[in-house]
Amino acid sequence: MIAVAVCLLVMLALQVLTPFWWWIMIVAFAHGAAVAKSGRNAFRTGFGAAGLLWLGAGLYFLLAGGRPIAGRMAGMFGLGSPWLMVPVTALVAGLAGAVAGYAGYAVRDALGKRGSGRKS
Amino acid sequence: MKTVRAVVSLLLAGLVFWALDNRHGTFPALGRLLDPFTGFWQNGSRVDRIPRKLVIPGLRDEVRVVWDDRRVPHIFAGSDHDLYLAQGWVAASLRLWQMEFQALYTAGRISEVVGPLAVPQDIFNRRFGLAWAAENSLRTMREDPRTREALEAFTAGVNAYIRCLGRRRLPVEYKILDHRPEPWTDLKCALLLKAMSYTLASGNRDAAMTAARDALGEATVDRLFPFFPPLVEPVIPPGTAFEFEGPASPAGGSEAGGTGGTDGEPPASGLPKPPDLLSSGFLRGPGVGSNNWAVAGKRTRGGFPILCNDMHLELALPAIWYEVQLAAPGVNVRGVAFPSVPQVVAGYNENVAWGFTNGGSDVLDWYTVTFKDDTRAEYLYGGQWRKTTAREERIAVRGGRTVVDRVVHTHHGPVVRWADEPPFPDMDVPAGAALRWAAHDPSNEIASIYALNRARSYEDCVEALGMWDCPGQNIVFAGRDGTIAIRHNGKFPLRRKGQGRYVLDGSDPADDWQGWVPYEHVPAVKDPDRGFVSSANQLYAGPEYPYYLGWDYAPFERGARINEILAKARDVTPEDMVRMHTDVLDIRARAVLPRLLELLEGKAAGGAEEKCFEELQAWNFEARAASMAPTVFRELWAELDRATWSDEKKGDMGRMPRPASEILVDLVLNDPGSEFFDDRSTPEREALAEIAERAWRTAVGNLEKSWGPPGPSWKWGKVKGTRLGHLARIPGFGLEGLEVDGAGHVINAIERAWAPSWRMVVELGSEVRAWGSYPGGQSGHPGSRFYDSFVDGWAAGRPAKLVFLKSADEPHPALAGRTVMRGAR
Repeated sequence: MIAVAVCLLVMLALQVLTPFWWWIMIVAFAHGAAVAKSGRNAFRTGFGAAGLLWLGAGLYFLLAGGRPIAGRMAGMFGLGSPWLMVPVTALVAGLAGAVAGYAGYAVRDALGKRGSGRKS
Repeated sequence: MKTVRAVVSLLLAGLVFWALDNRHGTFPALGRLLDPFTGFWQNGSRVDRIPRKLVIPGLRDEVRVVWDDRRVPHIFAGSDHDLYLAQGWVAASLRLWQMEFQALYTAGRISEVVGPLAVPQDIFNRRFGLAWAAENSLRTMREDPRTREALEAFTAGVNAYIRCLGRRRLPVEYKILDHRPEPWTDLKCALLLKAMSYTLASGNRDAAMTAARDALGEATVDRLFPFFPPLVEPVIPPGTAFEFEGPASPAGGSEAGGTGGTDGEPPASGLPKPPDLLSSGFLRGPGVGSNNWAVAGKRTRGGFPILCNDMHLELALPAIWYEVQLAAPGVNVRGVAFPSVPQVVAGYNENVAWGFTNGGSDVLDWYTVTFKDDTRAEYLYGGQWRKTTAREERIAVRGGRTVVDRVVHTHHGPVVRWADEPPFPDMDVPAGAALRWAAHDPSNEIASIYALNRARSYEDCVEALGMWDCPGQNIVFAGRDGTIAIRHNGKFPLRRKGQGRYVLDGSDPADDWQGWVPYEHVPAVKDPDRGFVSSANQLYAGPEYPYYLGWDYAPFERGARINEILAKARDVTPEDMVRMHTDVLDIRARAVLPRLLELLEGKAAGGAEEKCFEELQAWNFEARAASMAPTVFRELWAELDRATWSDEKKGDMGRMPRPASEILVDLVLNDPGSEFFDDRSTPEREALAEIAERAWRTAVGNLEKSWGPPGPSWKWGKVKGTRLGHLARIPGFGLEGLEVDGAGHVINAIERAWAPSWRMVVELGSEVRAWGSYPGGQSGHPGSRFYDSFVDGWAAGRPAKLVFLKSADEPHPALAGRTVMRGAR
């Protein structure tokens, strides 16, 4: 959980400071490559951190005057409710974070280096 | 094994990154779009915050913008320069994406955004020469110091706004379509005006009419498409005296071709390249029409003139207009503007009001061209070979190779389609013919609007409108001094009667345009005895007017209905006029339905036909959304029209061009045995009675097939299904399925996708009072609560009272906030 929280905070900081969405992949990859204990751990942490970050942020912006635009986007994607845009946003982030985290771990594993990470 | 896993997982991660970071066809780049920190989540209602202070480089003095509670900006500046710079900033803050999209579309550059799908549309717009036309006009606009200043300031304002936009604040359509705003240019202002000329002044049936003449003979064509059709009441009331003579020799054949060609060569392609846009067809659609009228003080309760206008255009979100008030020394004007053009286009100031309907006069002709050989380097003209010129058009395509198109120009203009090319969906273009179009000529409508915004009298307006060349408009006027007037205004080619109805001979100098109708001679009337003026796109004047301007005008219904109401009107109030904007009486139905029902009496077979017959019998001729009868009458009329005309075609004609509705109405009422009712595919000789019965049967059958047994699903509002589509056709960004009163040929001309785009009523009393509404909202941001906030009031015919301030400090209960703009130090 701590890894998820740390990754999430790092992702949040980078996303607020720069206009790039792909930090969620880079941070998850870095966690997988440097910290994760297993492929499953890297995958889950990436999924959790990125997914939760975008879930929380999506929810915040939805409630802070985002319902009309979320409703229109939902219409564009053929979804019935503006609320559905929040889980969709979270799922896309989670998927991106998960595959990046797993790839990070797999690369480290292939290079034969041991992780120094704590239990998360 | 581990290596394989690492490689595969890296590839997978790379694939996910690539998939989420790129647009795929029309599917957006999901990663960037959904990112809560830069994607669409940033386009919520924060766009509705009113900034208190802004630093805008280029401003010379302080500008104050007062926002009312309908999000209308009232801009107060110390000079023209600051006024238009602030307008540019404000327009961009409300509508930037729309402005750029329309400009790119018009310029034939929409493939840069949309991709290969849009190439045919871009080729059409380039061949048609819309950007070339804009470049020609822009040169003229830059020669006039006032319009040059207005354009440059406006452009600086738009660019100041673009520069302050980070990725987060980009309008959401940029994020969905994955492009970025490029710097604004003066050319884009000119492009929008050419887009309007295309919408309003490019309609033609020359190719189809030529085929009809060749197959049916000119006499039949003249009968079906008369120059002075029955039932139509011209814009200029019959009996109006014209105090001038017509052209001495209308059929003349000047050697030099007079104005036979657009001035100068087609510009080389080194000139500023305009933007390109999508191919949603925002430029064109059926049923372009509008109404305007003014009532003199002697007919109004307050004793003041009242001016009314509703301009019909394609419905879209963001709306084509936005409301604005512009005040600076020498000007205080309120009304609607195009987001891409400085100034107020239609509206009023403290002394006068004006409004538009499309004039519809013919300013576009096609000329057959005889080329010397396949190089198309020379063509025949006046017995000699003349050289063509060429303009190379490079169409950049997103995700594809740049398309290079060589547009060949004769002195008439560009050749739009070659014989080996498929037809364009936008227009029936005769193959290999050169296009002569008045909108290609240099003109400066911006100067006209500039003067109109500052006009204090009818004389000022006449002078201002002398610079209004294209699109030709019926411009209604009312002044606080009591004057009312209407002008069929524009730059019209001088031609013999009927010239240009058919494709012309491009090698014969006698077929060239022979100059222009002098501006002092355009049809106009001021303060007529009847106490009102009006227009609804119909014929401009009767046979007493000595020039020929065209033949294909709107049918009789709206014009006749307006005149019918106003002729009886006494003690008119602005509220009466607001109600009149939503008048839905169908006078075509009122004219023919009793006769048709007589013929159909007792012929109903089956329940559906009986039900329909009863509905029509009980109908009050009003096109109401909740009523079934308009649906039945529309279908019956369409079938009657088809059954009467489609079998008239002969030889290798395509579809038979449809005569105007008044021709069929006239036949139904006055000539039920007409040969045109005869169905030429049967040996018997049919008359109206037989054809009406067949049309009736087919019509009811069609409706049952489409909407089931007669019932609530047949209601006019449902069947019509009015919608406001998004400009780029993004699903979910428009409004669908509105059930609204009205129909194309009644005053409240709300059709499926065409409708009154701005309704305005102005009373010119000691205090000018005005009401207005349009289908849309001030903000072009789909996440704004002002995106479609006017739609309900518009649909219900409840306009807003328009706030018109004397100064930025004037207190008013309907104000929402203020922005103070200053230049950079």
